[in-house]
Amino acid sequence: MTLRITLSAALAAATLVAMPASAAPKTDLKVGMAAQDVGQLDPHRAVSTIDRTVVAWIYNGLVRFKPGTMDPKQIEPDLAEKWDSSSDKLDWTFHLRHGVKFHGDFGDLTADDVVFSLKRASDAKTSAFSADFAAFKTIEATDPYTVHIVLARQVPSLLGLLTNYSGGYIVSRKAVEKYGADFTRNPVGTGPFAFVSDTPNQSLELAAFDGYFRGKPKLEHVSYRYIPSDSSRDLAFQNGEIDLIYGKQDQAWINRIRALPNSVVDVFEPGELANLNLNITAKPLDDIRVRQAIAYAVNRPELVKWQGADTARPGQSVIPAGYLGSSNDVGLVNTDIAKAKALLKEAGYPDGVTIKIIHTQLPQMLGSMQVVQAQLRKAGINLDIQVVDHATFHQQIRKDLSPIVYYAAARFPVADIYLTQFFHSASIVGKPTAVTNFSHCDVADKEIDAAKAETDTEKQVALWVEAQKKIVAAVCAVPLAEALQIWAHRTDLDYGYDLKASLSLGPLLTEATHFK
Amino acid sequence: MIVFVVRRLLTSIPTLLAVLTLVFLLVRVVPGDPAIAILGDRATPETLAALRAELGLDRWIGTQYFEFLGHALRGDLGTSMVTHRAVWTEIAEALPHTIVLTLAAMAIGCLIGIPSGVWAALHRNGTIDVLTRLLSLLGLSFPVFVSGIFLLIVFALQLHLFPVIGNPRPGDWVDGLHKLVLPAITLGIVMAAYVVRVTRSSMLQVLGEDYIRTARAKGVSRRGIIWRHGLGNALIPVVTVVGLYVGILIGNSVLTEIVFNRPGLGKVIVSALTQRDYTMLQGMMVIYCFLIVIVNLITDISYGLIDPRVKQ
Repeated sequence: MTLRITLSAALAAATLVAMPASAAPKTDLKVGMAAQDVGQLDPHRAVSTIDRTVVAWIYNGLVRFKPGTMDPKQIEPDLAEKWDSSSDKLDWTFHLRHGVKFHGDFGDLTADDVVFSLKRASDAKTSAFSADFAAFKTIEATDPYTVHIVLARQVPSLLGLLTNYSGGYIVSRKAVEKYGADFTRNPVGTGPFAFVSDTPNQSLELAAFDGYFRGKPKLEHVSYRYIPSDSSRDLAFQNGEIDLIYGKQDQAWINRIRALPNSVVDVFEPGELANLNLNITAKPLDDIRVRQAIAYAVNRPELVKWQGADTARPGQSVIPAGYLGSSNDVGLVNTDIAKAKALLKEAGYPDGVTIKIIHTQLPQMLGSMQVVQAQLRKAGINLDIQVVDHATFHQQIRKDLSPIVYYAAARFPVADIYLTQFFHSASIVGKPTAVTNFSHCDVADKEIDAAKAETDTEKQVALWVEAQKKIVAAVCAVPLAEALQIWAHRTDLDYGYDLKASLSLGPLLTEATHFK
Repeated sequence: MIVFVVRRLLTSIPTLLAVLTLVFLLVRVVPGDPAIAILGDRATPETLAALRAELGLDRWIGTQYFEFLGHALRGDLGTSMVTHRAVWTEIAEALPHTIVLTLAAMAIGCLIGIPSGVWAALHRNGTIDVLTRLLSLLGLSFPVFVSGIFLLIVFALQLHLFPVIGNPRPGDWVDGLHKLVLPAITLGIVMAAYVVRVTRSSMLQVLGEDYIRTARAKGVSRRGIIWRHGLGNALIPVVTVVGLYVGILIGNSVLTEIVFNRPGLGKVIVSALTQRDYTMLQGMMVIYCFLIVIVNLITDISYGLIDPRVKQ
């Protein structure tokens, strides 16, 4: 009996010692990202989902989207506490918050940093987003906490350009000058998490920034781990080694992760719209009947069914749904194989036509393209797909080497940007001002340009809708499907807001993000 | 022996020079623009041109080549176009992990492969021999990304003996050893499968030689015949296979490092290739080539040690 009591007491004591003093929630977040490595931590050059996701945790803009949203109407103060503009919207003044600190010993944020950052974002030598800032005439600091911006012409959403997205991030001038080219691996911002270290091809470590102007973040440490193997990443999540995981735009993946205990799948905006961009100047696509045949042969519902009901929805226009100026009544045609064949015959291809195209080997994009290939084959349109790696794909489509370009993208949710970059003649690939106009489309330049200068929102929207109708009528592009962003997290992780959308394409981590 | 080593080292110099040239040209022949890989789809041609100038890619290719060659011969492999870190620094961080993994896999491969091969040869066409050959065939048939995932599911997910993420804590060798087990087994299994087959056939051939019969007639013990006279002579083709296989191991380590999320040269080279990081790719290829040259040299030296005729 004595022995049993002694053993029981020892066991109880051992259990007590083994138990933590209190069941405090954990404060270290481990994120699993589908990446070999992070690319650019300089926000003005951060373009990939891998980079943008983490950059959004380090930096702020003058204004921001309300966490969890991407609605331009819900833009709220960030580094600027208020702003005002002239009646013609060409003159803007931003009043900065006082006492905002940069990470490390880079001191307080001043108007000088803001001017430096915005000029840097508009400079082609230092920014991947310089084209967005083409209308900026002057950016000046009128005092240490006031920034004055003058535009050469109206832009559809100036606030949109200054949000925590793309070129709008504010960097520390001192840090950029100190680190020079190495700033990309020594990022210094004002956000809730500060850069600690980077182990190439392994992980990026961030720590809570105690001096964050919205208060000390509840998470203390964030480890952003690059796990390129999909299977290993899923297993690590399943094994509880990571808390937040980059997912796959694949219904089977969603179903499998949802079935795991303690797991929540996040499906959120923006939807990346995949368009088949048809080069209207290249044979045989220079004949509109061939392009129309392609439009009739594409079966959007089937493509969505293949991608998965939770992750995809049919494209409704040549720009994504939900953008200011987007419309679902732009004249898209439904699948009609007989009509497609008739059009081909009329165009002089009674026995069908073969078109050689270049496409990426990225599994999701390749799979979707193969579905489209099978759909077009029914109408006698044979796509001879040359599969290359993703970097090669990007290089070759910019050299006009593929008459059909499958391209999926999300942009700032105002029609102007998508329309300009993909369908304005100034953006045609090969031109000095090129962006991503692979179709050589120029049929809606007048409407796109007029909308930029229009101050009446209703008229502006009407112009954008008209532009979409013209582009659809000319079949510069055939919309396919929109794929939403897919991540998953453990149930004890609370973002601190309702995640409906994130323009950084990853969940935003804020001062309120915590474990329950 | 020293003359032999020096002679082999000298013959490696033209090989390395040829590799430097080939690597420089290859990374540039591969389509894909580093500027687009870095700046993405929204960068204007002006921005892309500015980055190309910043990276020195706008200069004549001959200038770039001689600059690369000059620096490489001085031991300077440059800095990464993406991370801005010295290529040597990244290699120095990754190389030990790859070497440890390769050596561990080689040890597993030899420790399992050689005794099993000898055992199978001694039981020719018996159950043990058939079983060994069958297992070896299985080992050869499984690609490392399949066997790796299989091991992870069993030992990490089901038994919780090992973590899925195999990135060892710096300075913690116990942790390093713990996280080395599954990747080393994954790589080692394939090597063991090769070594078993070569050892078996080589051993069978040697055991049929006249001198073995003579040794038996002289009354040499079974153990002496197998291990001294038999294996001693059967090892030369095994060493050749092991030497050659180290190159394959280094190549296979790419997949193993990705599946187990371990640091190493494989991960660095895939990352550099994806991002078209020319300087990093060049540096990595040079190192890979150098490793293969060194392994071949060690293999040649091993021949000399095992068979003194080779030295002549």
